[in-house]
Order: sequence, then C-alpha cells, then structure tokens
Amino acid sequence: MMNISLRLRRPSRMVDGKRMRMTSSFQWLLLTFILLYLMNQVNSQKRGAPRDLKCITNNLQVWDCSWKAPSGAGHGTIYEVCIESRSHSCYQSEKTNAKIPALLPGDHEITINRLYDFGNPISKFTLNEKNVSLIPDTPEILNLSADFSTSTLHLKWNDRGSIFPRHLNVIWEVKILRKENTEIIKLVTHNTTVNGKDTVHHWSWASDMPLECTTHSVAIRCYVDDPHFSGRKEWSDWSPLKNISWSPDSQTKVFPQDKVILVGSDITFCCVTQEKVLSAQIGQTNCPLIHLDGENVAIKIHNISVSANSGTNVVFTTEDNIFGTVIFAGYPPDIPQKLNCETYDLKEIICTWNPGRPTALVGPRNTSYTLFESFSGKYVKFKRVEAPTNESYQLFFQMRPNQEIYNFTLNARNPLGRSESTILVNITEKVYPRIPTSIKVKDINSTAVILSWHLPGNFAKIKLLCQIEINKTNSVQERNITIRGVENSSYLVAVDQLNPYTVYTFRIRCSAETFWKWSKWSNEKKYLTTEAIPSKGPDTWREWSSDGKNLIIYWKPLPINEANGKILSYNVSCSLDEETQSLSEIPDPQHKAELQLDKNDYIISVVAKNSVGSSPPSKIASMEIPNDDLKVEQAVGMGNGILLTWNYDPSMTCDYVIKWCNSSRAEPCLMDWKKVPSNSTEAVIESDQFRPGVRYNFFLYGCRNQGYQLLRSIIGYIEELAPIVAPNFTVEDTSADSILVRWEDIPVEELRGFLRGYLFYFEKGERDTSKIRGLESGRSDIKVKNITDLSQKTLRIADLQGKTSYHLVLRAYTDGGMGPEKSMFVVTKENSVGLIIAILIPVAVAVIVGVVTSILCYRKREWIKETFYPDIPNPENCKALQFQKSVCEGNSALKTLEMNPCTPNNVEVLETRSAVPKIEDTEIISPIAERPEESSDAEPENHVVVSYCPPVIEEEIPNPGVDEAGGTSQVIYIDVQSMYQPQAKPEEEQESDPVGGAGYKPQMHLPITSTVEDLAADADLDKTAGYRPQANVNAWNLVSPDSPRSTDSNSEIVSFGSPCSINSRQFLIPPKDEDSPKSNGGGWSFTNFFQNKPND
Amino acid sequence: MKVLAAGVVPLLLVLHWKHGAGSPLPITPVNATCATRHPCHSNLMNQIRNQLAQLNGSANALFILYYTAQGEPFPNNLDKLCGPNVTDFPPFHANGTEKTRLVELYRIIAYLGASLGNITRDQKVLNPNALSLHSKLNATADIMRGLLSNVLCRLCNKYHVAHVDVAYGPDTSGKDVFQKKKLGCQLLGKYKQVIAVVAQAF
Repeated sequence: MMNISLRLRRPSRMVDGKRMRMTSSFQWLLLTFILLYLMNQVNSQKRGAPRDLKCITNNLQVWDCSWKAPSGAGHGTIYEVCIESRSHSCYQSEKTNAKIPALLPGDHEITINRLYDFGNPISKFTLNEKNVSLIPDTPEILNLSADFSTSTLHLKWNDRGSIFPRHLNVIWEVKILRKENTEIIKLVTHNTTVNGKDTVHHWSWASDMPLECTTHSVAIRCYVDDPHFSGRKEWSDWSPLKNISWSPDSQTKVFPQDKVILVGSDITFCCVTQEKVLSAQIGQTNCPLIHLDGENVAIKIHNISVSANSGTNVVFTTEDNIFGTVIFAGYPPDIPQKLNCETYDLKEIICTWNPGRPTALVGPRNTSYTLFESFSGKYVKFKRVEAPTNESYQLFFQMRPNQEIYNFTLNARNPLGRSESTILVNITEKVYPRIPTSIKVKDINSTAVILSWHLPGNFAKIKLLCQIEINKTNSVQERNITIRGVENSSYLVAVDQLNPYTVYTFRIRCSAETFWKWSKWSNEKKYLTTEAIPSKGPDTWREWSSDGKNLIIYWKPLPINEANGKILSYNVSCSLDEETQSLSEIPDPQHKAELQLDKNDYIISVVAKNSVGSSPPSKIASMEIPNDDLKVEQAVGMGNGILLTWNYDPSMTCDYVIKWCNSSRAEPCLMDWKKVPSNSTEAVIESDQFRPGVRYNFFLYGCRNQGYQLLRSIIGYIEELAPIVAPNFTVEDTSADSILVRWEDIPVEELRGFLRGYLFYFEKGERDTSKIRGLESGRSDIKVKNITDLSQKTLRIADLQGKTSYHLVLRAYTDGGMGPEKSMFVVTKENSVGLIIAILIPVAVAVIVGVVTSILCYRKREWIKETFYPDIPNPENCKALQFQKSVCEGNSALKTLEMNPCTPNNVEVLETRSAVPKIEDTEIISPIAERPEESSDAEPENHVVVSYCPPVIEEEIPNPGVDEAGGTSQVIYIDVQSMYQPQAKPEEEQESDPVGGAGYKPQMHLPITSTVEDLAADADLDKTAGYRPQANVNAWNLVSPDSPRSTDSNSEIVSFGSPCSINSRQFLIPPKDEDSPKSNGGGWSFTNFFQNKPND
Repeated sequence: MKVLAAGVVPLLLVLHWKHGAGSPLPITPVNATCATRHPCHSNLMNQIRNQLAQLNGSANALFILYYTAQGEPFPNNLDKLCGPNVTDFPPFHANGTEKTRLVELYRIIAYLGASLGNITRDQKVLNPNALSLHSKLNATADIMRGLLSNVLCRLCNKYHVAHVDVAYGPDTSGKDVFQKKKLGCQLLGKYKQVIAVVAQAF
C-alpha cells in the first residue's frame, strides 16, 4: 500500500496566534468559536486536498498515478503534481491522475495541489517504486482459428513488446472453455520474452474432443516478470473470449471422422445431432454417454485397441437410425529392418527391406516409403502392391555414372509417424550377378574344352570370380576362375585336365571378385569328351579246363577311365620263347577266350582296342607253379566282404591274385578275381555277387616271374547264417531206460555256415500233448545236450523211465544262429522184471499166509475141533434110547449125518431183532412149544437124512409154507451150538408128541429126497438115527457148490445137516426186498465170502 | 466426380460404346432406328432369366460377405445399418408389360452397376485384403454388364428402344468411411431385395 503522509502547515500557525492574543472571559466564547471555526477549518482543509495516491505501470516507463479528488473540487480543477526529489518537475492534469515518468528506486516526495485555488491545502506523498503496481495491458487475441480435422486450435496474439524498455520475461495464460463457457477445460501458461518490439505469438492446442462437438472459447492474459522491478507485479485482465464453433448442417454427424490414432491412446467421439441419442458403442462395446450442448453427446474411449483393416466402427443409435464413424487404430511405421542394397548388373541398384512390425493400417493409411540417395539427391518412391509380402518391399534405383558409393536413406511414413533407415554402400562390392545363361562347350582335345556363357550386366569395371562345377559319374569337381568383366556379357574359359571319352556336366556361377554373393547356378550342360587310346591293358586271368587241354583266358572290361573310348575288340596272342603268335580278335562284349595249348609255359597277351588305338598288352603265364604244402582254411567275412591276410613274401615279385568261386559249382570255377600289389599282405574281397550263407572258395596266388603259384585255399562265408534245415535223425534203439539216436549230416548248401554243433532236447511228453516250447528259456523239465563233437553222429540218452513217451528234438547251429528243429516221439520199453516182481511178491505173501494159516490150523486142529466140532454123543450109547435101536435097525434106510444138502423145514421167527440174545435163550424153548404145529405139516418120514451144510450166510426168502406155519416174518438162524444145549428138553417133549412114534423123533418133518447119497452115509446111519434138530430148517437154504439148491421140500432132496455141522452163528435176516432172489446162485466163492464178510 | 471417372464412366463406356455415350439416354420413339454393335443372341430372354437367377442366387452371399467385412456392429444391426433405404432407387413394376419391365430392369441394373462399381472401389481401399469380397463384387458386376447388354439388345431388337434414361446412386467418393460402408450395405440390401422380385418377374 502506498504510504502517504499529509501535512497541514499554514492552518496550524494561525490557530496558535489567535490563542495567544485573547485572555478575557470573552475569551471562552471566542475560544469556543475559534475552536469551532478551527474544527471546521480543519475539516474543510481535509476535504479540499487530493488523497489516496496510487501509481501503476504497464510498461515500466510511465507510472500512472491517480488520487482521489477533494470534495470541493469540481469540473475544471487543475492539479499540479510535483516531484520534489527531482529538480522540482511538476505536471499538470485536469484529471485525478497523472502519468509521470518512472522514478528511480527510493522515496520520492510528490506534492499535489490544485492550481488557482489558494487556501486549499497541498497534498504531499512519498512515492517509492515498491508502491507501484506493474499491471500489463490486457492482451488482445489477434486470431483464433481451428483445424477441425486435427481438432487443433491455433491462437495468435501480439505481445506489444515495444512498450517495454528492456528484455523481459512474459508469462501468458490461456484458458479454453467448453459448454457455452461454463467449463474451463484447459488452462495453460506460455512463456515468452519481449525484446522491445512487437511480436506476434502463436500457440496451438489439440483438443481431445473434436472441435465440432461443441463451442470452444479462448481467452488470454499475461504477466510481466521483471526481476528489476521491485513493485507489485500483477496479471493483466483476461482478454475478451474468442469462440470457435462448427456450424452443423441438418444432418447428424459423428466426429472425428476417419481418424487414425495410435493404439492405446484415448479418444473422444461425439455425435452432433438434433435427435435424442439412445446409446453409443464402439465395435460391440457400449459406452456411457457424455451430454454436451443440446442433444449432442460424446463418448470417451480409453486405451483403444488395434483396428481391423476396415477400421473400428463407432456408432450412436437414435430412435430410428444409427450414425457412426470409423476410427483406425494402428502403429507408426517400424524402422525398416534389414535394409540391403545390391546390384545384379551394375546398372541398377535394388534395395530391399523388411517393414518390421505391422502397422495395422492399410489402404491410404498404409506406410509409404521413399528411398533417398544423399550424394545424388535422387529419390524413388515405393509403389505399393495390393497384397505386399516381405519379398515385395524393394525399390530400384538407377545407378549414376562414375558413382560407386551410395548413401541411401529409406523413409517410412504413415499418418501416425515416420521412421527411417540408412545404408552406405560401395556398390561394386555388392554385386549379386544374375544366373549365367547360354552355356556352350567346344572341344580343344580329348582332355580340354572351351566353356562359354552369357552373364547379363556391365561388369567392365570389376573382375568376376566364377565357379565351374565339373561333374562326372561319382565325381564332382569345382574350379574357381577369375576373369575380367566385359560390357557385352559374353565370357569364355578353357577347362583342361579332363578325361577322354567321359561325359561331363558343367554348370557355372559367378560373383564379383570382392565376394558378396554367388549367383544362382546356371543350367547344367552335358558334354562328352573325345576318345583317346586305352591307357592300360585289361586285367587278365587264366584257368585250365577240367580236362586240362584248354586254357581259358579271362579278362575284365576296362573301366571307362582306362578305356578312354569305346572298346571295339580284344587281341589275344601267345608267345613261347620269344615267338609271338596272334591267336584271335575277340569283339568287345566277350571277355574270355579258350585256347588249345600244350603244357608248355606260354605267355598270353591281351590287348584292348578302341577307335583311336590299342592298349598296352596284359600278360599272364599259362602254367601254374606247383605248391605241395597247401592247407584248406576257414574264414568268415564281415557282412559285405571278407578279409584275407597273408605273410609278406619277398619272393613274390609280380602281384597277388585272389580268385573266388561258389564252392557248390563245378570246376573250373571262377566267379571273379582280384589283383593286389606284391607288397600287400591283406586284401578285402568284396563283390556284389556275394550272398550271406553261401560257401565260397578263395584261392590266393602269388606271382613270381609271371608265373602264379597257389599259396592258400580258403573256404569261407561272407556272413554265416543259421542252418536252413534240421538234421535228419532216427532212433536206432530203445530200451526201458535209454534211447539211441543217430543223425545225418546237413548238406553244405543248407548249412549256410560252419557247423558248430547240435543241440539235443528231450522231455517226457505225448505226441499230442507235449510240445517243447521255448527251448532256450531254460525250462527245468527239458534236458539239453550240446554236441560239439562234429564227428559224433549218435547219442544215447540214458536214465529214462520205462514205458514212457519222450519228445526228442534235434537242431544244428552255426555261428549264424540256430537251425530249425526236428522232433520225434519215442516210447521206452516196459520194465518186465519189475512187473514180474510186482506180481510175484503179493502171490508169495498170500501163499505164505495160507501156509502159515494151514500150519496153525493143523497144529490147533484139536482146539478147533473142540471149539467148533465137539464130539456129538452117540445116541446109540444112550440107554434111554435103546428101545429104538430095534426100530432103527429095522429100518435099513435110516442114516445119520448124511452130507447132503439139507433143506430145513422150520425156522425160528423172532419178532424183533433186538431181542436176539434173549430169543436165543428162548429159542431153545420156543420151538418145542410150537413144534406140534410144525409137525402137523411135516410129512411122516421114516428116512431122515441129515446133510452137512456149509456155513452159507445168505438171505433166504422164507418158504411160503413155512410162513403159513410159523406166521412170522423174520427168520433167524440160531447158533447151532446154542441150539444144541437145550437138547435135553426135547426128550420130554417127545413124550408128549402125539405124532411121535417109538424112540426119538425129530421135531420136524424133513422130506429127504436125495438119491445121491452114497453108501458112506449108510455107515453113519446108526449114529444119526433118531436125532433131529429142534429147529425147523425148512427155511434154510444151504447151498454148496456141488449141490443143488433145495427150496422145495417136496420136490428136492433135502438134507439136513447135523446141528454140529452148522457152524454159522449168524442170524438169517429175512430179506426186506421181496423181489430179490432167494439166492444169487453165486455158489461158494471167495468173492461171496468177502462180500458177506462185513455182515459178520 | 471422381466416382464417375473411376467407377461409373468405364462401365458406361463399355456398355454404351457409341457416339454420345455418357449422356442421359431418353427412351426413343418406337419407330426410331436401333442398332447394336454385336448381333443379339437368339434366346435373349432365357439368357436374361438365367442371369437374373444367377444374380439372385448370389445376392445374399454377397450381402453377408459385405456386412461381415465391415466389422461390428454391422452384422448385428442390419435393420438400421443395412436396411434397403435407398431413396432414389429405380422403381420396378412386376405386373407391367415386358417392355416396361425391361426398361425398368435396364434402369435398375444400370443403377446397381454404377453403385457396385463404387462399392468395389471403396472396398479395395478399405479392405484390400478381403479378396473373396472383391472377387464376388467383380463377378456380380460382370454378370450385370452382361445382363445390361442383353436387356439393351432385347429392347433394341424387339421394342426398338435404343436410349433409356438412367439414374445413378449417390457418389460415395467424398463421404466418410462409415458413410461408404453404410451406403454400400444399404445398396446391397436393396439389391438383394430387388433382384429377387425382378428375377421372379421374368
């Protein structure tokens, strides 16, 4: 703030004078009046002086000072402003301001008074530069323009620098408003300097929103930054707003249109429309709307992605239409890569490059290339093809005369930017010749030709390096030649060191001597050199015919490099003792001749002839030097050949010859031969005719004085194979524990290798069930015998089992592998001694047991008899029965113990089997009780035969008659001995028997019909008369092997055994099965015995 | 004017290679003389029908190929972007006389041919790699040229009409890319619609 001091001088002096003069009482009134007056005067003084002096400057040269006018000052008041510090310079002004020159730094007294107005006070101010404000004038925008295509505003204004006394820094501030000046979107500062003269400044600003979208307004102000000015510096006022607006037509439009932007940048689109926009989308993505003036809307896209060829569509959708624009997001051109410039012909330079990263911009937005050569100032532009590839990025630049160094700059440009790549080349070092053409060959002689070709281009200034490829069968040779370039493009060179009569294929490629690149190979040119005389005689050999009368001369056709032409014929001659005799001329396809020679040692010569001449002769002696010490050796090859070695022999002066043939062929056998130098000690014999598994004979001959001597004879295989057939073997002999096998040799052709042995396998097995599988797998049940003794032709297999089938397999093997197998089944013979022993031992045991049993029985016969056959008391000795003796005697037919089959006619029937023991007791009694009934059925019989019945234990069907009589269903044979004891009682019962006659009567009627009893039985009649067993034995079916069965007491001879003879203690259980036969008629046999034994 | 130089004019020069080519062709009086450069085919109507059928058969595929090549959102907003809203498209009355129908067909094919030339030119710049679209556009333009020649032959031979006033579609050369895409799509949509009616009428 300005520091202003105001001093009142004269009024203060007048007040002091009046106060000193007045001293009376009136003085108080006067004093009061005076005071009032003074007060009024003071106030009037204050109101009448200029005040509030303020100074500003806009150019630092003139200060514009202003003050407030006193209240009494009217129109027409003239002020005088004086600067006291200077030489009292005063300035008059009718206004309340005055422009004074800028004062120096420091305080300056300024007085301002009103002229012609005495009594008015003078205002004094102290003025310093610090109290002065520097406020530039409001700037004025000269021009505001817009580039709608780039959305750029261009601002132009004048800095009015001429008003400033010195160089100053000026800061400009520009503000940009949108939305009808309501929104400041940009406030930027711009620094300039003023240099004492007016300067028009330009400033551009690119809007992120298309300028068409809304009105843009611009204002500007400035600030002078003078470091030497100590006063207050302030911004100028804003300039008036300048507007930029787009005058839309009636159609809706979307902006920006067809813009190309960098991928990843942000962009704003707007739709200038009078319709209501419903939505907006970029591609398929909806975007939020930003409302602008009116119905205009905008969308903002961040980080836009790369566009397709046809661009990215941005659309705004209204009620019934879609409006849009297309944006092309891509990349600026990459730096051209691998820029290379070279020439094919030194007439034109071709520069190629790789465009690098794709820009994603096509069509008119695609990258354009310009090739600029700085030395000549020439340039060529790249004409784009529709679908460029990397190979198509090339430009041709016409070479300039006498210019070898070229500095190329390739500029790449697209709407998003530009890039460049440079290359400096010496074009004579970047020659990449085209393909040589028109290759021609001309003869010089049989070993040299002239080669000519055409190479497009003007290479007169350089030398060419050309490579000639000389290709013949199985051989490729490349020769480099350097030739001076010519203008007419025709070149020729001589090529020597060729072979006569050889087909060569030539091709050529060239480069500059300062090598850069080879041209591509020319087309091939074939050429046959002319013939020359054969360089060597043919390789010869001789064999005597099998009868020894003819000598067969063989020779090999000359190789093409030695024949030197087409061999037409061979001349064969022989010489003996310096006397040469030409024998025959053999045309070419034939390579042997048969000569009739005696046993003299002839020298045979063979000469090959072609159209140019004859070869040197090949000579061989007809006779062979004998060798007594000759052994046959074996050798095996290496698959494709066989290696033969021998010791060095200095006596061999010529060479060694190895001949070979198939061993299965007849003599003279010659497949081929090979000559090796005399200093060699080994040779590898190889031939396409060799086959694996075939036996060959190799003969090594040594040569001394043109005579050959057989040194070694070798049989061998190139490669051994497994035998193709199995050895044929037979079984010569078999026994119970061994087999003798014999086999035959395998023929050599089928052996296919040197036989190393046989493998013999055997195992137990039948023909259909046993198969030896996996012979090599080491099965434990297979026994293997390896027979390596090749002279062995038989094999005995021992320790076999008798009467057992064995599976025998035999196979041969070589070093090439195992041959096929041949198998046979053999059954060993039965072991008869063992069988006999197996039979005899049980028989012997049985006999021994029988004998021992018999001995024991014999020794114990008394005991047995006592036990089983106690003596039966003779009834005749019984006095109680003596009365019957007469009766018995009178009956001559009465017999006892008749050993006939007996048919018991009475059985004891028991109700239950469990009561058997008791029944036995009661049985002794019960038959007596029932006897009367039984006896009523029995027929009176005066002749009683008691037959002996062996102890047959069989089921017996009860006699129906017995059943009727007994009324029981079970039959039990009662122990005879137990039955016998109660014999005492029957005697009492016999007395009461009404039927019984005198003496003893048996309790049952035994119809004896036997007629076969012999007289021996009669002798016992007395002993048996009168005794009858108490049991009804009718039901007994006693069968003996030699007696018929007795089932019917009436019709059959019934013999009744003595109770003592019935040794069975078995109950006879009536058969439950009514259908079962009464007797199976098996008779008395061991079988029956054993079968019934379990029933005991 | 660029479109006339690049697309329409060559087409018209080929089709009307005679004195006064390029000027509007009024329908000549019936008795006016009419001459063609080449003798007309004996069975013109069959050829015309076949060519129409051929165009009708390929129109939809061309339409699909076109709007697919323009990118989104064209395929999903066919009604608003590719609707057949072509205001100045020549009319066609299927129930008219053969002569009327042929004259209308001539106008339609001339209109379509010129528009197709514009579309082809625009797409070669905009979609240089869409070779199948270019191929189909070229093939369609070729058939249209043949059809136009045949129709002219027929009109000339039978109805002695040598000149027909034709109108062309809007020039797209000065329009922005989106307008080119949209106008092309609308034209092809209209073409697909119209060619079906025309083919049916013949």
